[in-house]
Amino acid sequence: MLDTKKVRGGNGLASIEAEVDEILQSVEEITHDATKSFFDKYSENPNQLVLASWLETRCWREIDYVFLLNEQIRRYGMRFQRNHITLLAKQSFQEAEHYEALGKAVESLGGIVPTSVPVAAVPWSNFLWECMERHHLAAIAAWYVSETSASGSFAPTYVGAERHGHMDVVKIYKQIEIDEKFHTGLGRQVLSTYAETDEDRDEILRAMRGMRDIAWKSFTPEVVAATMRAA
Amino acid sequence: MNQAAIIPAHGADEQLLLKIDRREPVADGVVTLIMTSAGGGALPAWSPGAHIDLVLPNGVTRQYSLCGDPADRSRWRIGVLHAPASRGGSEYIHTQLRAGDALKASHPRNNFPLEPAGRYLFIAGGIGITPILPMLAQLSATNADWRLLYGGRSARSMAFVEEIARLAGGVVDICPEDENGLLDLDACLSGHEPGRLVYCCGPEPLIEAVEDRCRSWPAGALRKERFSPSERHAPLDPGEFDVELARSGQRVRVPADQSMLSALEDAGCTITNSCRAGICGTCLVKVLAGIPEHNDDILSDQQREAGEVVLPCVSRSRTATLVLDL
Repeated sequence: MLDTKKVRGGNGLASIEAEVDEILQSVEEITHDATKSFFDKYSENPNQLVLASWLETRCWREIDYVFLLNEQIRRYGMRFQRNHITLLAKQSFQEAEHYEALGKAVESLGGIVPTSVPVAAVPWSNFLWECMERHHLAAIAAWYVSETSASGSFAPTYVGAERHGHMDVVKIYKQIEIDEKFHTGLGRQVLSTYAETDEDRDEILRAMRGMRDIAWKSFTPEVVAATMRAA
Repeated sequence: MNQAAIIPAHGADEQLLLKIDRREPVADGVVTLIMTSAGGGALPAWSPGAHIDLVLPNGVTRQYSLCGDPADRSRWRIGVLHAPASRGGSEYIHTQLRAGDALKASHPRNNFPLEPAGRYLFIAGGIGITPILPMLAQLSATNADWRLLYGGRSARSMAFVEEIARLAGGVVDICPEDENGLLDLDACLSGHEPGRLVYCCGPEPLIEAVEDRCRSWPAGALRKERFSPSERHAPLDPGEFDVELARSGQRVRVPADQSMLSALEDAGCTITNSCRAGICGTCLVKVLAGIPEHNDDILSDQQREAGEVVLPCVSRSRTATLVLDL
């Protein structure tokens, strides 16, 4: 397995590489634990609507990435090499595919595919868009962390979903896992290629630290329970 | 226009019969050969960065970069350094060949083409200036943004300096080692600059020093041409190659304008992939024989050197056949 943190790009992250990698590792680990915690709780009372609610925030992330990536290209794309515009657009297309696929899974579980930000995803979404406003690399830094957090959720999702026969969920996330490697590799390459100043690096770290503190929370059983109570 | 005299053979092996029109010393230990078609016709077209295989009368075949004017189809020019450890190539050219002698040569091939870019940095060491010279001439004619860092043992050993000085535009740093020391690579390669291509040709230590400073750069940002490619690194003509699928024995032709991954898919192979751009590493395949030409952004230098895996979405083959564990 190749490590997308080693993707070739520029030297823009060299001086902050240690903290960048520490953030990525910690968010992956905490998301793994949060996901495992969710499925452990789910096993106590496997109500499909609970799983559907858990997937709804995942589903929203996919379509919010579509909006975000297209806005990233519209606002800042002319600062990038053309191949990076193509790759960001390709990522956007894949995120739309994930939204469609996860939407089918949510519906099959009796849930409702979100068409606006679910309550549990509000802090995550707000932070991403705030990053977009602040700096041309900040939103990319934030979704780089968010995508990496998702990587931590795959293994416990496969175990938990398979245990209850939700093989469609497993199949969808197997494809998402493949695409996430592209997305995290692209995030790393774009950041390392275009980060030039200390201000750029400060904004990248601010976005990554902020997303580290947010990204994993909607994976927890507590947030899902609270969301369902609110509904 | 008449065509050059051709020695019949098959396809790319077809040879041309040339005549040495002039042989001129251009620096200490460096001569140029101006060659025309023995039959008097037009020579094949070529582009900056191209080289030919020259078959000397003593049976030795050597590769030399064309360093004249691509627009002049009546003659080719090469520059030849008298290498101290010559095994019959440059030694023969410097001591035996005279105007009027006949030579055989291959058609031009270009493994070091000048690609479009916003800016260029050229790094040449010694006779490594030869493939770069026509690139500079082309860029000067189009007012492109270029810089040349040209090093040599001494000013007297550095060929084509006056010719370079006559080129319009560009920034030229001529650095004789006995006066200025080694080229200041740290200053000009301090970081990857999007939109800039770096071309390097010269002795192995120079190329390794440049590679060291560009290791983290995106694939393709550094273009290099070695003087004496070993058999292992001998580049093929840009173009098609075959992939052999070890498990079935099937052979798949990969055309020049198609990716290996796409050709394999067309042949019925299913290879998991995502980015198709050499970033995610998902389509990684084991190489059982042949030498991959790595164009990805994710394999480490060690993995590239080992040549045991390849990403078929962007990479190709340096050998006519690549055998994959598929």
